[in-house]
Amino acid sequence: MKLNCNHNVHIDVYHRIEPSKGREEVNTKRVTLYILTLVITFVYLYMVWIFAPPEVNLGERIRIFFQHVAPALIGYLAFGVTLVCGVLYLWKQDLRYDLVGAASIKIGLVFTTITLLSGMIWANASWGVYWNWDPRETTTLILWIAYACLIAYRASVNDRDVRAQYGSIFGIVAFPAVILSYISIRVWETLHPIVITGEGLQMGAEHGMTLMLSLIAIGLVYALILELTYRIDSVSERLMELRMQRSE
Amino acid sequence: MVTYEVNVMGSGFSYALAIAKKDLITQMRKRFEAFSMFLFAIIAVFVLGLVLFSSTFIIADSPTRIQVMTEIGSGMLWVVVFFTGMFGFSPVFISESETGTLKGLSLAPIPGWSVYLGKVIYGFLLMGLVEIFLVPIAMGLLGFAFSPEISPLFILITFALGTLDLAAVGAMASALTMPAESKATVYPIVYFPTATTALILLVEITRMLAIGLPIIGPGILELLILLSGHVFAMVMLSAAVFQFTLTA
Repeated sequence: MKLNCNHNVHIDVYHRIEPSKGREEVNTKRVTLYILTLVITFVYLYMVWIFAPPEVNLGERIRIFFQHVAPALIGYLAFGVTLVCGVLYLWKQDLRYDLVGAASIKIGLVFTTITLLSGMIWANASWGVYWNWDPRETTTLILWIAYACLIAYRASVNDRDVRAQYGSIFGIVAFPAVILSYISIRVWETLHPIVITGEGLQMGAEHGMTLMLSLIAIGLVYALILELTYRIDSVSERLMELRMQRSE
Repeated sequence: MVTYEVNVMGSGFSYALAIAKKDLITQMRKRFEAFSMFLFAIIAVFVLGLVLFSSTFIIADSPTRIQVMTEIGSGMLWVVVFFTGMFGFSPVFISESETGTLKGLSLAPIPGWSVYLGKVIYGFLLMGLVEIFLVPIAMGLLGFAFSPEISPLFILITFALGTLDLAAVGAMASALTMPAESKATVYPIVYFPTATTALILLVEITRMLAIGLPIIGPGILELLILLSGHVFAMVMLSAAVFQFTLTA
């Protein structure tokens, strides 16, 4: 449904989230997601800090690796969600896609920040410097800047519908930065290890299991924060709408 | 019954060329934009050349200086082109929006992508014109030359691809800046992150061409293919979604 008035769009968003399903059913699903995330996160912490044995070359530093790779891949996923939501918004003109896409940018930025910081700690432990302009470091920093600029850009557009339309377009054209960051270690000569190859994971079974579980745990954390951010942003839109109605 | 076959692709390209021609004629009447771009580029080259010369003064008689100037100077040339692009590409759509002629373009019975492509062609030709005069001057002031072992064709291809990439990104950034509150502030935050990928590739390729690394083998060719992929991705993505900037 294409709506012409901003007010209608916001009310529509609010009503589609809450009353369309029974509140109890929705809450049960949410509580299930929270409990599942909590349990898997504890298992993830156990596997990273206790279960995973020290690696032959990296020793105890391998524990940073799990907290570096999983946020990096989930960060890419978050920006991929922004791309898909951008396409869906342009196609369907449904503001829910814009809300999810915008929320995913913020979470993707948090995960990319964790990736950069954990990468710097790892780089200092392995190479003796926090930052040495390695191609993966550089392209990941560009990625972070690109999506931070996207947030700033969205804030600079006042009209809600125009912000959704143009923000979606920016989210689509910014995506090549994700691809470049991913392939950078395969194109340039780099010190960064290549763990995921065409032949599978280049690591032992215990480390492989821990990495897989860390991906699931961080993925669930991403889903949980995305759901919460979406709900908060929807209610915030509704509040803004009510304020505007009252001021008229 | 008479059927009419319309060659959408062919006519779309002819519309794009007509838009580029219109912009070039307008530019030739005004003249100051191209001349201002050129002057800015010369000032930037002068300042960077002075800094580079002063910084390497201590090794003035050493062959190391030639190597340093070659490696750094060739990269600085693209930094100048990158920033000069801000002057050339930002008014591409913003001026149409401010003068009200964008409405005419959006109502014209032509595909949206041909409007975008027309602006890319115009930006490419404008920047190409500036580069014809800028590159020899920059080579002199920044103290570098391309290796005589490298075919001029590869140098030409690099500059053509680089300029096209920056024009594609710059035109899209200009379109995205139209609805923003403070256009002068917002344009760089849209243009810089999306154009930085091209900048990194161009600095690397031009450095390799200047020091005379072999074209075939790992290095230049791989990066040229990657740059071509980036140009293709940016042009196709932007052309595909450009219609939505006209309908917002």
